[in-house]
Amino acid sequence: MGIFDRSSAGHESPPIDVIVERGAVAFFAETIGETNPIHSDAEAARAAGHPDVMAPVTYPVVIDMAAAKESERKSMPALLEVIKADMRYLLHGNENYDYHGPIFAGDTVQVISRVKGFSDAKGGKLEIAHLEMEIRHPGRGTLTVARRDLIHRLG
Amino acid sequence: MTITPHTATAGDTLPSVTFGPITRTTLALYAGASGDHNPIHIDLDFAKQAGLQDVFAHGMLSMAQLGRVATNWAGTDRLRGLSSRFTALTPVGATVTCTGRVVERFEKDGAPMLRIALTATIDDGTQTLRGEALISAA
Repeated sequence: MGIFDRSSAGHESPPIDVIVERGAVAFFAETIGETNPIHSDAEAARAAGHPDVMAPVTYPVVIDMAAAKESERKSMPALLEVIKADMRYLLHGNENYDYHGPIFAGDTVQVISRVKGFSDAKGGKLEIAHLEMEIRHPGRGTLTVARRDLIHRLG
Repeated sequence: MTITPHTATAGDTLPSVTFGPITRTTLALYAGASGDHNPIHIDLDFAKQAGLQDVFAHGMLSMAQLGRVATNWAGTDRLRGLSSRFTALTPVGATVTCTGRVVERFEKDGAPMLRIALTATIDDGTQTLRGEALISAA
């Protein structure tokens, strides 16, 4: 028997607004060792034709975490709570991004999270939750679609 | 000769990216910068309670390095997709080396694209991530 709440399959969160902050983008870029200044220096970003610093390509995970925190502040369950993830046994199986447009500091984006379904592997030793997060901008449409598999190790 | 998205063909390799050694400080900073506060990466007491000997690195910290292999070479605006499977845990102290290799040049909706195979490997030879990037070659 698994730990995930499989009755959450099909769940879709209401859109959560997240403000992309310049300092947060720069801190993330520096932490991952990113040296291209368009991710950390607004002047360099503008000189390259961008409105502000550009989010590094794995920044959608940060926006997703921010949306989860914002949900909690609004007393709405974050996705990990919806699926009843147990952090003691949780592993990240895979992560997949489709990019439709860049994300910049100063953007207010909307995050919609979906529980796509659940599956089992290795004879029931692993159970897998399939999740999807869409990052939308009110003017520029869908910017990133992220798909993520989270795994409980049960055996 | 330096390869570019215009000239690259199957079998070409991209400049690699090395990151680390990953310290506990690195993990604390990544937890703060990413908002991923899962204690399994930063709290040794919690990790031990979960039956592990130590904390381990966020998979997404290594995936960020796979992203750098693609964007250092092609630029962020050419990246159309990035995916990764996390195949082994990355322990504290590891140095991660990430490589990219052109698998194929193909057309998607009439536009030239490159499929890049990405790997992350730690010091002892264990492959920790296996991924793929889709890069516009237009």
